Amino acid sequence: MIRISIRLFATLQRYLRPPAPGEGTALEVPEGTTVDGLLRTLGVPLEQVKIVMVNGIHAEMEYVLREADRVGVFPPVAGG
Amino acid sequence: MNTERYSRNLILPGWGQETQERLADSTALVVGAGGLGSPVLYYLAAAGVGRIGIVEGDRVDQSNLQRQVLYTTGDIGHPKGQAALERLGALNPEIDIRLYPYRLGFGNAAETIADYDIILDCTDNLATRRLLHHTCRKTGKPWVHGAISEYYGHVTTFLPNRGPCWSCLYEDGDSREPETTGTFGPVAGLIGTIQAGEAVKYLTGLGELLVGRLLIWDALSARFDEMTFPKRPTCPHC
Repeated sequence: MIRISIRLFATLQRYLRPPAPGEGTALEVPEGTTVDGLLRTLGVPLEQVKIVMVNGIHAEMEYVLREADRVGVFPPVAGG
Repeated sequence: MNTERYSRNLILPGWGQETQERLADSTALVVGAGGLGSPVLYYLAAAGVGRIGIVEGDRVDQSNLQRQVLYTTGDIGHPKGQAALERLGALNPEIDIRLYPYRLGFGNAAETIADYDIILDCTDNLATRRLLHHTCRKTGKPWVHGAISEYYGHVTTFLPNRGPCWSCLYEDGDSREPETTGTFGPVAGLIGTIQAGEAVKYLTGLGELLVGRLLIWDALSARFDEMTFPKRPTCPHC
């Protein structure tokens, strides 16, 4: 298992219980887990995912998570 | 130029008379005069941007007033653009403010933005942002993107021929619009204010811009975050 932290932004926040505190929610996941797999495990509707960042840098859904990664996930944001 | 009006600009470090004159000779187009557009327009007008264009075809609705601070209760039912013109003209009669009372579309986008130095994205939908991306790219215009949802907001600046583009950040193949959400008023105020700051910095040549950087504010956790996004290797536009 590896330890990562995740933050779901904007309207995706509701899929993480309890709500993520400022530093993100700490999770343990099996080695080899991808962002896609992590989000499926959390029950996040993938069609609502628009942007993924890992450690502050844009990443793809196929990215394989590493120990201590910080994951941020964003829906499409259209309001103005 | 009324130097007393701009005296607190003129004593800023790095901001001289020529900086203020550069701003007076510059132009900015604000697409959407709603939650983001309200602070953007106030700060661009107050700073002394010489010509400001407003693209806005809607009327003021009572539900706008919780965040769209350009408008008053007396404006309900009236065209937003006209109310914005009056408010901003009263704030700074020294500048030229022009109204484009329609929605930006494929038929009018290139012509509307042609006469402006920078474009501010204060729209409320992805389709118009996608249109701004394509139009600004083709015409070589910089644009400042802001977007908000619930307690969340983000802002970044796209420059022609430098840094990543909208498609690098968002991809532009997905045409679905997200559902309308609630908006925490101060998120519109803060993100719009940062957008105005980016535009004024670009127009005056001051400081660094949010190029390749997405600045994020989550009001509930009271945190700023920043995401770096380089040019996407698979971007069809870069």
